[in-house]
Amino acid sequence: MRFTFTPEQEAFRLDVRDFLEAEIQAGVFSTRCADLVQPGNREFSLKMAERGWIGLTWPREYGGQGRTYVEKYILMEELFRVQAPLGYHFAGDRQVGPALIHFGSDWQKEHFLPRIVRADEGTVFCLLFSEPEAGSDLAGITTKALKDGDYYVINGQKVWTSGAHQADHGWLLARTDLAPESNRYLSCSEFIVDMKTPGITIRPIVNMVGEHSFNEVFFDDVKIHRNYLVGRENQGFKQIMAQVDYERAGLERLMQNYPLFVQLKEYVQTLDKADGGAEYPTWARDQVAQLEIEYQIGRLLCYKTAWMIDQGATVSSQAAMCKAFCTQYEQRLNDAASRIVGPLSLIRRGSSWAPMRGDLAECLLYQPSYTIQGGSVEVLKNIIALRGLGLSR
Amino acid sequence: MEFSLNEETVILRDSARRFLKERCPISTVREVLSGDAGYSSQAWRDMADLGWLGLIHDEAYGGFGGSFFDLFVLFKETGRVVLPSPFFSVVLCGLILGEAAGPDQKAAWLPPLIEGREIWTAGLLDERGGYDFEAPSLVASPAGDGGYVLNGTRLMVPYAHAADRIVVCAHVRDPASGGPTLFRADRSLEGLSLEPLDTLSLEKTWAVHFDQVRLSSESVIGGVGRGAEALAGVWPRATVLKCAQMLGGMERVVEMTVTHVKERRQFGRPLGALQAVQHLCADMATCLETSKLISQQAAWMISEGRPAIMEAAMAKAWCNEAGGKCAAIGHQLQGGIAFTEEHDMHFYSKQARAAELTWGASWLHRRAVARGMGI
Repeated sequence: MRFTFTPEQEAFRLDVRDFLEAEIQAGVFSTRCADLVQPGNREFSLKMAERGWIGLTWPREYGGQGRTYVEKYILMEELFRVQAPLGYHFAGDRQVGPALIHFGSDWQKEHFLPRIVRADEGTVFCLLFSEPEAGSDLAGITTKALKDGDYYVINGQKVWTSGAHQADHGWLLARTDLAPESNRYLSCSEFIVDMKTPGITIRPIVNMVGEHSFNEVFFDDVKIHRNYLVGRENQGFKQIMAQVDYERAGLERLMQNYPLFVQLKEYVQTLDKADGGAEYPTWARDQVAQLEIEYQIGRLLCYKTAWMIDQGATVSSQAAMCKAFCTQYEQRLNDAASRIVGPLSLIRRGSSWAPMRGDLAECLLYQPSYTIQGGSVEVLKNIIALRGLGLSR
Repeated sequence: MEFSLNEETVILRDSARRFLKERCPISTVREVLSGDAGYSSQAWRDMADLGWLGLIHDEAYGGFGGSFFDLFVLFKETGRVVLPSPFFSVVLCGLILGEAAGPDQKAAWLPPLIEGREIWTAGLLDERGGYDFEAPSLVASPAGDGGYVLNGTRLMVPYAHAADRIVVCAHVRDPASGGPTLFRADRSLEGLSLEPLDTLSLEKTWAVHFDQVRLSSESVIGGVGRGAEALAGVWPRATVLKCAQMLGGMERVVEMTVTHVKERRQFGRPLGALQAVQHLCADMATCLETSKLISQQAAWMISEGRPAIMEAAMAKAWCNEAGGKCAAIGHQLQGGIAFTEEHDMHFYSKQARAAELTWGASWLHRRAVARGMGI
């Protein structure tokens, strides 16, 4: 048992923190909530790449640093603390790289991994999983990939694709075994698709925040060379289930609203009896203390999952628990913050009257998405019950 | 970050679990709870022989110089079997002596406590159920001969009937050098009387009345006016040991409940195949895991001699609510059978409730967290 970091890890954290402070001082970015969904900043990603901070856990042969997940989480914790602009390399670093390391062909690894690690041009990825009729039940996808010589021909529709309009490549799940009697869990495959391939149409979806962050993506006879099939044909669903364990428990599920929490703590410090009698500040402090407890627990859940990955343990149930807990914490943070701050919570960015720079209103708008994206709380609870506790369907 | 238990701790945990399974099965718990003693004297002697009572004390006093984390693990095991015993009370008094007593007092008082020859308990709750360390309603008036006369009442004192010594914090009414002061009172003292309380707790619990009880100056633990400070020093450790007990209880409730929903068939399939049931099971598992992490952290910090006031407060505030939630779900999913006397579940919900309400309800610990945060 040890609930502290090693001196080397602490030193690493300080390195990251120093770098980020210098970037903020230089005006490269400013800290505001909910910026993870914003388009990336390649200049910033290049600086991270220079320091070896993209692909930190990947093997050295592919340009990675071969470091632990605990170290990766230290890095991510510092980045999220100040909401650094990670968008350019985020999907490649978090999802595509680890999946390729597990399932990719030699050519795919040699081609993509070093490019992602260097934050080269053309390494922005989007994830083409969900469909209109396949959300939580991902095995229900109907987008088809029909083999035709050296190519697969893709037809169908994806939806909720974050950043498709900015991405160079898509990570696609499509059905390769169309026989009616085929097992739905053993009939899908994963592909990498160049988003500029003819036949791809992207239509924006404006979310309830009022932003264009995700899209519908249509495939009309889109040809993908078989070199871009990832892993084994018809094993795509299993591969994805293994991949998501690694990304589920990330600190981004806990810290998307971190600046809001910091500001809430400052806000509560300034309360006194003039603000509505003795009851109000006492109640508000109780609420914020509860949030602090939940935040600290969420942080331990994340680091424990990272530690388990480093130990080579199976983390599906642990990661599901971590994500379910953390996303619900983020919603409670928004609830509590808005109830403490009161009606001014509703004022959006841009007005000098907006409390907490308008972060609060922004977070409140994003709030419903936290417990849906990347696996709803209900699906996560199913995973805990089935894989963690051994209950049957 | 390192989340696995040390090898020695695993050995200690496993041997404790084996011992408790053999010597304190639930049938023993039932016998003990229906008897007058309220604990098994045989099991008590065994626990003393195993060195549990002196685990964290210096070898000079007959202890083992073990770690607080190991003690935490032992308490978790006792929580798993809902062991009714003065273990917590005696360990608490040992902690108080360790914190407050002078070297001579420790040398004289710790060995019999550690060897199990004397049972100690502490009466720290006032007539309204508060921990009145700062301003105790129990009054110690200077008697003129250097001694004191104690008057007042302590409520919810565990195992007072079995105790040889009762530790209290009383207000010394002395304008020169007064204040909250810890005393060791022999239970046999004249003027000290016990009133049985019929409670939900698995511990046998008493009201202890002090009516003109005379105490010598040697009965003062540490110094006059130092009681509140000493108890504040012990508070995080005591609360974390309560968390351990709750954690053990939660662990068993999750096991029992998951087993039940796997075996119990309704609508032609196991209850556990219903998603409504699965989600409650997932909630329980989350309560358990989160409570484990936050209280292990506190226990480890204490073990390492690091400041842990915040960590302990976070742990107790969280375990209080998680323990209650686990017990509630345990009842809900095991249905009518778990509402019966013959089923074991009620021991666990009683233990959870008693542990939640003693050593600080959640609001009190959240207040400590808020103070620690500087808000």
